[in-house]
Amino acid sequence: MKIKTRGNLEEQIRQGADREKLGADREKQGANREKLAEEQIQVRTKAMESTFDGIFIIDAKKPNFPIIYANPSFYSLTGYSRNEVIGKNYFLLYGLDDNSRIYEEIKKTLRQGKSFHGEMLNFKKNGEKFWSLLRITLVRDKNGITTHYVGNKTDTTLMRQRDLEIAEQREELLHVTRVGKLAEFVSSLAHEISQPLTAILSYAQAAQRTLKDREPQVQEILQFIVNDDQRAAEVIRRLRSLLKKNKPTFEPLDINVIINDTVRLIMPHITAGNKIVKLDLDTSLPYFQGDRIQLQQVILNLISNSLEAMESSEDSHELIIKTSRKGKEMIMVEVKDSGCGIPEENMKKLFAHFFTSKPDGLGMGLSISRSIVEAHGGHLEAKNNPDQGATFYFTIPVNLKNDL
Amino acid sequence: MNNSIIYVVDDDASICKALSLLLKSNGFKVETFTSAEEFLAFKHPKIQSCLILDIRLPNINGFALQEIMAQRGIITPVIFITGHGDIPMSVKAMKAGAIDFLPKPFTEKKLLEAITLALSKSKVQNKQQAEIEKIKQRMDTLSPRELEVFHYVAQGLLNKNIASKRGTSLQTIKVHRGRVMQKMQAKTVTELIGFAKKVGFSTTPV
Repeated sequence: MKIKTRGNLEEQIRQGADREKLGADREKQGANREKLAEEQIQVRTKAMESTFDGIFIIDAKKPNFPIIYANPSFYSLTGYSRNEVIGKNYFLLYGLDDNSRIYEEIKKTLRQGKSFHGEMLNFKKNGEKFWSLLRITLVRDKNGITTHYVGNKTDTTLMRQRDLEIAEQREELLHVTRVGKLAEFVSSLAHEISQPLTAILSYAQAAQRTLKDREPQVQEILQFIVNDDQRAAEVIRRLRSLLKKNKPTFEPLDINVIINDTVRLIMPHITAGNKIVKLDLDTSLPYFQGDRIQLQQVILNLISNSLEAMESSEDSHELIIKTSRKGKEMIMVEVKDSGCGIPEENMKKLFAHFFTSKPDGLGMGLSISRSIVEAHGGHLEAKNNPDQGATFYFTIPVNLKNDL
Repeated sequence: MNNSIIYVVDDDASICKALSLLLKSNGFKVETFTSAEEFLAFKHPKIQSCLILDIRLPNINGFALQEIMAQRGIITPVIFITGHGDIPMSVKAMKAGAIDFLPKPFTEKKLLEAITLALSKSKVQNKQQAEIEKIKQRMDTLSPRELEVFHYVAQGLLNKNIASKRGTSLQTIKVHRGRVMQKMQAKTVTELIGFAKKVGFSTTPV
């Protein structure tokens, strides 16, 4: 600051006093600034110390790249103490294990002057495994020379576990669906084949009766027909008993939970297709007796049908799943899409075995869904929406009467 | 066997034809139908009969047909046949009073065994039915007052109770009662109560 001189002494004196004051102010300001900086450092340090992520800093200028700082979360995450970490090379902490390839990858990335980002399996000091997301960024000085590496480690074990559980559930459901489809397929096939077998058997036995004691050679041939017919029948019987094993298990269920679970399972599919699912669930619905997996199968089937119906169209992307009470005795579930709808001529055949409008479809999905819903004492129907798309809806009685 | 008829209801025409040939070769008279409606439209002669019935049929299925038959008084024993042989279904069929439940394909032997059983049951049913009709015919000849007395007697009421209930003299009741016995051709009161039971008359005291 430049101070102008004036002739007036008084003025000079006043100015001198002002100068003194200014100097004092400056000193004060400097002290304040220091205090402020200190506070800021304290806050930043505290923040670093209190975060859940493990943070560590490596001195990049020293030849062995020692860790010069690690926050408490880093110690609790890895199980190592301060003495075992500070001054040590980061990679030495983990010894030589099968992850060494990843460490080479990290080193390579850092050497190229790039920051690293990756998820890996790590071991704690006690050998316990954990998944972690590691990010290492570079700190450079004014000249662009890397002075430090800052590492940030997040424990992703729980997330991994949850992902794994979801994947397992999805796999289980798909498996049951596949087995269910196969069972229904075999059962339908068995029925279709047993019809002509019945006719053949009766024709042959009628011929035997008609011939009575005549034509012994033809009689013998007829007996061969009868025998082989029964052999085929036996194959069908064995197939059937093989598939009878997966019996439904009934337990008290909340339909909304089933829908939420199922939607969660196929969320990747939904988002991949750029579609959205809206849930309109009546939370006051009572429990009912049902088989969880089977009903998940029905809902999964209806959702995937709807998604497929909306696949071709760009402007249709909304799927609505609604639950409501229908009278005192029934729960109603509606799956409404905004897809291509159902051609009138297909309406009647929709639930028949082997009926499909898809080039690679088996034609079992809806017929299985219907038999599951009916086994629960309900009904599954379909209708076209007045504006666009179709709605599949089914009812489930709250109190299933034990008919059989 | 000459005076009996076997009905076959199956939507598969080939099965109808094959069963018809098989049963005819065994000397039975056979009528086949490919739907429940066709069977219901048929005029059933009052002779020994049984019905070989497929469970899966279009529109009216086998179980539903069985119910309709009961409502319409078409009395004939049922042998169920099905290509979807499962246990709950067979339990349901047997509970509904079926003679047997044959999973397709079945042998001639099994079928004939079931038919023999069914026809003997049909014979008993027909006899019972004929008796009920005879009783009903006799009941039709009763005057309203006699019918009322018959009702009371069936419930085990004594003459004096009936008289006080009707507000008439004991003598009048005795006369009515005598006519009831005569018209119903009952030799004893026990026999008369037996008739009432057979036609489903209430025999429990009021």
